[in-house]
Amino acid sequence: MPNLLEKTREWVRERLNIDPVIEFASHKTVPSWKGSFWYYFGGVSLFFFIVQVATGILLLMYYQPGEKTAFESVRFIVTKVKFGWLIRSIHSWAANLFILSIFIHMFSVFFTKAFRRPRELTWYSGFILLALALGFGFSGYLLPWNTLAYFATKVGTTIVAVVPGIGGPIMQFLREGKDVSTATLTRFYGLHVAIIPAIFTAVLGLHMLLIQTQGMHEPESWKTIPAAQRKSMPFFPNFILRDVLLWLIVLNVLAILAVVFPWELGTKVDPFAPAPGGIKPEWYFLFMYQALKYFPAKLGPMDGEVVGIIFFGIAGLLWFLVPWWDAKTPQGARNRMINYVGIGVVLFMIVLTAVGVR
Amino acid sequence: MTSVRRWNPIAIVIAALVAVPLAAWAQSDSVAAKPAAPAQPAAAATPAQPGTRDECMTCHLDQDSPEAIAYKNDIHRSRGVTCADCHGGDPHSDDQDAAMNKAKGFIGVPKKQKIPLLCGSCHGGQDSGFTSRYKLKNVLAEYHGSVHERSLDANPSGAQCVSCHGVHSIVSVTDAKSPVHPSRVVDTCAKCHGDARYMRDFNPSLPVDQKEKYLTSIHGQRHAKGDWKVATCVSCHSNHAVQQVKDPRSPVYPTQIPATCARCHANEKYMAGYDIPTTQYRDYKESVHGIALLKKSDLNAPACNSCHGNHGAAPPGVASVIAVCGQCHQSNEELYQKSPHQAVFAGKKLPGCVVCHSNHGVRATSDAMVAFVKPSPCADCHRNDSSDKAAPAMLRIRGLLDSLTAGQKEAEAVLDRAENLGMDIADARYSLKDVNQARVKARVAIHSFAEKEFEEAARPGIVVAASARAAGKEAIHEHRFRRQGLVVSTLIVTLAALLLWLKIRQIERRQRDEIV
Repeated sequence: MPNLLEKTREWVRERLNIDPVIEFASHKTVPSWKGSFWYYFGGVSLFFFIVQVATGILLLMYYQPGEKTAFESVRFIVTKVKFGWLIRSIHSWAANLFILSIFIHMFSVFFTKAFRRPRELTWYSGFILLALALGFGFSGYLLPWNTLAYFATKVGTTIVAVVPGIGGPIMQFLREGKDVSTATLTRFYGLHVAIIPAIFTAVLGLHMLLIQTQGMHEPESWKTIPAAQRKSMPFFPNFILRDVLLWLIVLNVLAILAVVFPWELGTKVDPFAPAPGGIKPEWYFLFMYQALKYFPAKLGPMDGEVVGIIFFGIAGLLWFLVPWWDAKTPQGARNRMINYVGIGVVLFMIVLTAVGVR
Repeated sequence: MTSVRRWNPIAIVIAALVAVPLAAWAQSDSVAAKPAAPAQPAAAATPAQPGTRDECMTCHLDQDSPEAIAYKNDIHRSRGVTCADCHGGDPHSDDQDAAMNKAKGFIGVPKKQKIPLLCGSCHGGQDSGFTSRYKLKNVLAEYHGSVHERSLDANPSGAQCVSCHGVHSIVSVTDAKSPVHPSRVVDTCAKCHGDARYMRDFNPSLPVDQKEKYLTSIHGQRHAKGDWKVATCVSCHSNHAVQQVKDPRSPVYPTQIPATCARCHANEKYMAGYDIPTTQYRDYKESVHGIALLKKSDLNAPACNSCHGNHGAAPPGVASVIAVCGQCHQSNEELYQKSPHQAVFAGKKLPGCVVCHSNHGVRATSDAMVAFVKPSPCADCHRNDSSDKAAPAMLRIRGLLDSLTAGQKEAEAVLDRAENLGMDIADARYSLKDVNQARVKARVAIHSFAEKEFEEAARPGIVVAASARAAGKEAIHEHRFRRQGLVVSTLIVTLAALLLWLKIRQIERRQRDEIV
């Protein structure tokens, strides 16, 4: 067996110089401290992305976008295709857990100040990945062409239209027309299975390249303690194996959710039927949707909704640019204000999501 | 203001005394069919005392005017209504120029399309003095929006007050001489509604044989014998507020018909002496037909006229019951006509369908109708013993019915269980529609009273129900399989995770040992 392994390695080495990679991995270390656990959520997010790609490819083999085929083909998948119900349920559950995992990853990076120099580009690319993941969710939600998805997409795209100046054209682009229709379905299908995955993969490659080349961020507290007290573990095999261990646990959770709580298909869209009561966006948009409800109809000369959209736009931009406005970044000093802002944002999101769910 | 209103008409009446005869003379032919047409209604008249001198009458009677002669016996004249009240002018002046002076409101012959308003000045709710004195009803309000008013708006020869009541010789509706007295109202309506040429101007597709049909009806036959209590046109269509049959406000709109007929036929006091029951409406309301029409507003469901006819209303005879029911239940009729029951029932002069289903109180059918015990109608003739040759076939038919019902119930129960487990059984659930379809076909086929035909209709339903049940069971099995698969896969993944954890610990222990 060792001979076979050695022969294989030799065969690869002749054709591809992987020695620098092995050399790099064997010397790379990961800080080992009380916050190390949070490092794993990047890997968990990657795991969910892989699951999504794998299950998405399987669904593609049967899914047919179109007014008369979208709902029917998903129905066919969950009723007739062997294990189709499982694949679809896993795809739907993993989509949600993917975004949850990215949020956790993002906030852990934020609170550990891992966005600071020289990791600004990693933060920016991560933020773009989050936006793309939300795009994945928004576009994929419509594809089964069921009633809830249809009306939620209608509401979602209407909110986009509120953005002054560019809102209307964006809504027109998303809907491919004045209203949500099968043209929208085709457009969302294209975004979901080709455009967003291509961009996501490219940005993900950059994101991972940055992480690997810069290494894991060391905790801020390490700057004040002697080098001898700084513990670390080898990236390979220790960190990788722990990553895989967590992947296995997550896989179990995903399987239990997909089997015990299979994702419902709902009823087919009837565009002429009135919108059912209680239409809400997916949970990850709910805090914004709920917050917009609290804006008064008019704020000065502007519509409350417009002010709300501008507010979220500015807040998102500030969040994206946090390495830039975190004044103490260059000094690497402690910045409690950043913590307070982060806690405020987390509380805001949790409370409004909880209210929205109710 | 009040005094001005009171005196102006009188001045007009004086002027009209002179003018009316000439104008009325010019329009003196058949006023009921071709009513006179005023330019505009004269002002509301102040009631004059009966016997008040009316110079219009004086002159026109001198000239032997038929209108004036007729008006001598008009109910309006006896109540003090002068010529000028309708025609304007001054009824107190014996000078023709003064009496028929337009300056005094003389309008001559009222225009036809203005007549309802003219009559309505007293019969329109607004108090003209006559209105309160004689307690006149607001007939104009009833006429407004009626099909006759719409016809008049469209065409001056449309029906208005004088078309039915006549003119100058109007008498009380209770007077047998009145064209709207029950004895004459059918002829009055038929004057227009029996004239195809006239009706073509208004509603070319409307039949014009209502009177002919009416004369064949029980109502018409009694009417011809002088029974004025029986229904005439206005009994069902109303008088002043006549609407098209397709108008939901019409008393003969399908959903209104049962109540309209019931106004007389459910009134024990009114129907006393006719020797027919008065329970039809009560029975009908509870029947499957009544529920469909009155509660579910299904206009395809039969009302009284669907079986009895409308203008030619009469109970269907024993021999024609099957044909009447067969208007809607065509397949049932065809099967029944070929069945052994047909000859037996005809021989005994039994009224076909009514024998088993009754007439006005037809109830929804059920499997229990096929049985040897009451209330099954079969029990009236059939016995479950060897003397009854039909008994074995009846038992097998009932067995198939029970299998169909039980199969469907079982399938639904299994599918409910599968659905509660979160399984998708929509296709199987949908297939159960075919079971209902088979039940409908079987219940039709039962009218052949032949086991073979019945089984051909029922068997597919039994097969579909069994297939749906099997699909439900398979879904439950699939659910169990999924759970078992989850347990196995979870155990394998957990075991792999455990082994990996042990491997990590082993690696880290070795690394620590190497450092030491």
